[in-house]
Amino acid sequence: MFGYVRPVREELKCKDFDLYRATYCGLCRTMRKRCGWLAPMVLNFDFTFLAVLLAPAQGEKMTTCHRCQVPPFLRRCMCETSAGLELAADESVILAYWQIRDRVRDDTFLRGLPARGFSVLLRPCYKRCARRQPEFDRKVKEQLGILHRLEAENCTSIDRAADAFAVLLQAAAPETGEQNRDRAMEQLLYHLGRWIYLADARDDLEDDRAKGCYNPISLRYGQQACDEPLALTMEHSLSLMRGACALLELGRQEELVNNVLCLGLPLVQRSIFNGSWRQMKKQKIWRNKL
Amino acid sequence: MNDPYSVLGVSANASDDEIKKAYRELARKYHPDNYQNNPLADLAEEKMKAINEAYEAIQKMREGGHNASGGAQSYQTYSTQSQDPAFARVRMLINSGNISQAEAVLDEIGNHSAEWYFLRGAVAYRKGWLDEAMQNYQIACRMDPNNMEYRQALAMMQRGGGGYTPYGYSNTDLSDCCTTYLCLRCLCPLDGGLCC
Repeated sequence: MFGYVRPVREELKCKDFDLYRATYCGLCRTMRKRCGWLAPMVLNFDFTFLAVLLAPAQGEKMTTCHRCQVPPFLRRCMCETSAGLELAADESVILAYWQIRDRVRDDTFLRGLPARGFSVLLRPCYKRCARRQPEFDRKVKEQLGILHRLEAENCTSIDRAADAFAVLLQAAAPETGEQNRDRAMEQLLYHLGRWIYLADARDDLEDDRAKGCYNPISLRYGQQACDEPLALTMEHSLSLMRGACALLELGRQEELVNNVLCLGLPLVQRSIFNGSWRQMKKQKIWRNKL
Repeated sequence: MNDPYSVLGVSANASDDEIKKAYRELARKYHPDNYQNNPLADLAEEKMKAINEAYEAIQKMREGGHNASGGAQSYQTYSTQSQDPAFARVRMLINSGNISQAEAVLDEIGNHSAEWYFLRGAVAYRKGWLDEAMQNYQIACRMDPNNMEYRQALAMMQRGGGGYTPYGYSNTDLSDCCTTYLCLRCLCPLDGGLCC
């Protein structure tokens, strides 16, 4: 997806850092085993966060028996494949595939060629995942279709455009039948989706203005200063996310999730507003080096 | 009922101070002020009730006590009183969580009064459409600047929702006096040792 949803490394306790890394590596391994060798290419922090949210309160089972693929001689502590990781793996491939298809559709033939090539390569992998998660696949197609229509109509409501993406992300956590937990999780993911959409729109604002492309924020606020009201509404979403998070039984994952919601997202938001996000995006979470 | 100690997340041989601390932190977390207008307010209320009950039960067990008094709290739901029966119905629908029907009823009403805009804002808020909620509340306040209900709703939007942040995770200064006030209110020991 976009990589906006990340913890602040400096503020993580060692145990939470290990948990995050183990989830990331576990998700990578699950994707490779389950969806094919190409799938880890679309691995991202956003779905790692989803995997953290979907993990049971007592935490996923961890092991050090598996090897990392990037340098194959390294053994790493990683989460064993579990239902939550499998779901996050399938869903990230499905969403990535449709986003690439979107890019192919939006770009000119020549500029769209690399994306087109990648989408062809990813297709068998996507097919497999879509068969396993038909509901989510349908929802993604439907919501991205709505989003496309809104863009064609030059929709001026940031809420309406963000709603399309927020509903998509809301569908990422399946219902467990436990009503209170489901409602809290839905609100958390809805506002996470809303926040991601708005953050991405703000990030693209200057480029879109220069190219004359559709951007909900530029249409909503026109030429007037948009940063203050936009930051306020995004912070409001963050606050609703935190409210929902407090009602979830996250157990071992709680502190990591709090770090992302209370520190990670606000930091990313600030950096998007002051233009330092492009640089921050390149920073690795795993190493101290910039 | 669950074991009151596990509700507060403390062991059965925790000291009174530890229990009080755990209780305060949880009460701060689920305080109604953090969930004003929040669609999940009822869940937080349930939690708050469970915490209050657990705390009272422990106090009773330990002291045979009579010093704990139940915390009655009122959630900010939309009052169902309204001059216009159609608006009263919309308020009822919003309170019962039936947002799409409330929206449909509102769309049918031709008379776009301040209350209409306020209720549209409330519907948008429940849907998570915060920007539209803000715009509608602003119009409502402009049309009827003396109405406290509308002004409170707008003030809540201008605060960015406020709400609970766990200890050690606040990275913004409390520059705004409302937030400071809310936090102080949550932190101060109130009468009877109960936070609400």
